[in-house]
Parts: sequence; C-alpha cells; structure tokens
Amino acid sequence: MTLLDRILRIDRRWIFLLVGLSVLIPILIPLGLPISTTAPTQAAFDFIEGLQPGDVVWLSFDYGPSSAPENDPMAEGFMRHCLSKDVKVIVCALYPLGGLGLANSAVARIAAEFPNKKYGVDYVNLGYKDGAEAVMRRLGENIASAFPTDVNGRPVSEFPIFQGVQSLRQIKLVFTVATGLIGEYWITLVNSQFGTPVIVGPTAVSAPKYYAFLSSRQMAGMLGGMKGAAEYEQLLMKRYPPLGEFYESTRGFTAIKGMDAQTGIHLVIILFVVVGNVAFFMHRLRQPRS
Amino acid sequence: MTYPIGKFLLIFCFGVLPIMGILLGLRGPAARRQGPIVLAFLAGVIPIISLFIPKLFLADSESGMSPRLDAYLIIVAGFALPLGIVNVIQNNSKRAMRREKGWFYAVVLLFGLFATAAVGLYGAISGEGIGFRPDGSSTPFKWIEDNAFRPLQATMFALLAFFMASAAFRAFRARNTEATILLVAGLIVMTGRVPLLELLASPFPALQPAAASASAWFGKLTEWIMNVPNSAAQSGIIIGAALGAAAMAIRVILGIERSYLGLEKGE
Repeated sequence: MTLLDRILRIDRRWIFLLVGLSVLIPILIPLGLPISTTAPTQAAFDFIEGLQPGDVVWLSFDYGPSSAPENDPMAEGFMRHCLSKDVKVIVCALYPLGGLGLANSAVARIAAEFPNKKYGVDYVNLGYKDGAEAVMRRLGENIASAFPTDVNGRPVSEFPIFQGVQSLRQIKLVFTVATGLIGEYWITLVNSQFGTPVIVGPTAVSAPKYYAFLSSRQMAGMLGGMKGAAEYEQLLMKRYPPLGEFYESTRGFTAIKGMDAQTGIHLVIILFVVVGNVAFFMHRLRQPRS
Repeated sequence: MTYPIGKFLLIFCFGVLPIMGILLGLRGPAARRQGPIVLAFLAGVIPIISLFIPKLFLADSESGMSPRLDAYLIIVAGFALPLGIVNVIQNNSKRAMRREKGWFYAVVLLFGLFATAAVGLYGAISGEGIGFRPDGSSTPFKWIEDNAFRPLQATMFALLAFFMASAAFRAFRARNTEATILLVAGLIVMTGRVPLLELLASPFPALQPAAASASAWFGKLTEWIMNVPNSAAQSGIIIGAALGAAAMAIRVILGIERSYLGLEKGE
C-alpha cells in the first residue's frame, strides 16, 4: 500500500483524536488570539448603545443546551450591556427544548452580578410559552394576554417595568438568541408587522440565512455564532471598563475563550480538506485513463 | 349596550359547528370529512379578512375574532406537547415490550421521561416550584436539567464536530465545477471567520504583521461572500419558500390539500 492509499484510507479514529486535541489544547492553554469586529456585530452594538436609560427591551431565549456555548455569551452579554446602561430587560423563552432552564440560569447569574438592579423594576423573567408564532402575534397586541404572569406565577401587572408598556409596539428592541426558525419569526412577524427593531444572535450554522434579512434592513444587527459573541464581548470590554475587568478575570466560559478552540478546529478541518483533495487528485492522476 | 359579535361568531364557528359536524358525522361519513375542511377554511380566512376589513368584531386587539384566534392557537399549540408525549410513550413501550432491537434504550427513555415529569409535576402541584424553590434553592427537576439534560444535549451536538471533520476529509472533494466553487468558498469563509493566520504565525513574530493584514483581507472577502452571493441566494430561497407556504395555505383553506386530515385512500 502506497503512502497515498494510506492517507486516503486513514482510520477515522486518528481524525477524531486530532479534532479532540485541537479543541482541548486551546482550552487548557489559552492563546489569546486577536478578534476583528464584523459589520453586523458593530451595527448591533451601536444600536444598543443608542438606547436611552429607562428604555425597555425584550430578550428571548430561543435556543437549547446544544448550542449554549455559542448562544449563552450573547444573551448574557446583552443583559450585562443593558443593565450597565440602565436599560430595562424583559426576558422570555419560546424554545421548548431547554430554553426556560437557560433563561432561568442566565437571569440568576446576571442578577448576582448586578445586585443594585431590582427584579420587576429593572428586569423580569416571564418564563416559557408554547407556540412561538402565536405568542409573538399576541405580544404585538397585548403582552399580558400572552404572559399573564411571570415565571414565578406573579401577575405581570404587579411589576413597575410594565408601566407604559402594553405590547411589543412600546418595546425599543427585541434581541432573540435563536437556533432554528424562531429567530426568523421575530423578524417576519414582529419587525414586519409591528415595526419593533430586531437583533438576532443565531448559531454560526444559521447565520448565513440572516444576511438576507440584514440586506433588506429587517434586522438592526446580528451576532453570528461564537465569533459574533466574541466580537460583542470585546466591544463591551472596550466601552465599559467594569465589564472589561469582569471578562478578563472571570473563570467562567466566555466567547473570547471559545474562539481559541474554534480556531483550532477550523485549522484541523481545513487541513483535512486540503490533504484529502491533494491525495484525491494525485490518486486520479495515477489511475490509467480508460 | 354593545354585543360581542366576534365572540358569538367564534363560538358558533369553533364550538357549535364542530359539534354539529361530529353529530352529523355519526350518521354520514361525508359530514365527518367536510367538518374539518369547513373549520380549516374559517380559521384560515378570518385572519386574512381582518387585515382588509378593520371592523372591531374582526380586528380589535382585545375582542376581535383574529386576535382571539391567536390566543386559541397558543392553547392548541400547548396540546401538541401532550400528543407528542403520548406518541413517544406508545412507540417506546411497544419497542420495549416486543424486545425489538435497542429496546433497552426505549426503557431508558421512558424512565427519563417519567422521572423528569414526576419531579416537575410535583414541584408545580406542591407549590415548591419547578426550577427554583421560593427561597431560591434548586429543585430536583433543576438538578436533572443541569446534570443530565444539558450535558447530554451538549454532548450530542459536540459529537457533530468529529463527524464533520471525518466527512469533510472523505467527501468534500473538488469533483466538478460546482463542488470546486463550494469548496473554495467554504475554505475562504472558514479562514476568514477565525484568526487562523494569526494562529499559524504565532511562533514567528516577524510574520505576525503580514498574517494580520492577510487575515483582515480574508475577513473582508468572507463578508463579501456572505453579503452578496450568500445573501442573494438566501433571499431567493426565503422568497421561494414563502410563496410555497402561501400556495399550500391557499390549498388548505380551499380544501384542495387534505393530507393533514389523515384520511385513508378513497375516504
């Protein structure tokens, strides 16, 4: 068997080993690679920066644990950004496979970081509701009819955050952290019908679809995958020194840390594609023409 | 005194008519078939005409027929979950009882389903809370979510990276022009989305400025690919899918498309 044949018939366990190492090594030994900012992330950051203290925004957890390493940093970064600017945040979850659990955990984490912010005044968690499209249409007419109570069963009319906010028409921005179709629904139902600006934080796999909505200006910005989340974290660090200190000192997972591992895996996959193609063409050249 | 016309009409359309359809269907199979078609027609037509006829009984945000239908839809969507659970229980219990291939996994699935549902329902009924107790501490449901559900879902998704790398090596080949264009675009986007060149140049300080400028160029090229060819193709796909969905909706509303009724051939 020639070297070429050996390459073409490599045991896939070697591939798995290299993939595992390319993720594991950058996690154990952070590389601190530089991250450049793309236009969709900058647009999203600038839009949020343009909000005024006291404005109310909506954060929807439309993803599950499978994509949490990509999506968690977006949702948490957005909450940190808003609360740092005294912008009020209403949280909900429309994804059935674990969206509520992620929302509860994120709200608890961020609440602990901002002890001076009050539940019901500066932020509120409405919990999960099934039937995403129908819920969005109801939210456009009346929030209380879709979410009569918060996640703990307390009537939403008790919370000062809802003063002057009856429907999504009074909300200054919807930020949906989404996997699957729910992000698209926020654009086509909420932005198109009620005019509320929408920013989407999709997984990297879904991000290409949203460029069409960015081009048609139906979205105010986008954080595409872990790269978008890392760019957003970096912008937050530059603009808000306390957040910069937090992101530098935290032992928890951040998208900036995740980018090192993602770069490693991209390198391995590119190498495999190139080596596979070179071996494929050399093999074809050696075969006699029929 | 104002009469809630919209409410009465909805009760007639989605309460009286279905009951009449069921009663008539007991006598004649034709009525059993026609009833759901009439319901689908009304449910499809009311939101459409409410957009064009802004009468209060149709479009009022509180009492209009269309917004009320949206509220009904949330309830109907809620019933989809129990239906799914019943389906999972039926299929997996059959597999387990017949000792079909992989029956052990069916048992594990059913155990997970019942155990999680039991602690969740207990938390909801007892007032202890599903995720967190009133004092802020975690419930057993939260423990299952944090220690079983989340790691398992994350593991399933993470495994994709291994199979993607293996598949990319074996199948991502420049066999023809279309595959070559896809391959080149894919490699550019993969390079432009991460600081790959900076990683390669990190052991060589002299090369780092060149790597940074090359990386910036790849980044711009990636953005162009995403903004121009990708965006154009995605727009076409989205518009095509929307037109297809609209056509299908018209077929359902007019009763031409009947596969959703689950009728047998010839019914």
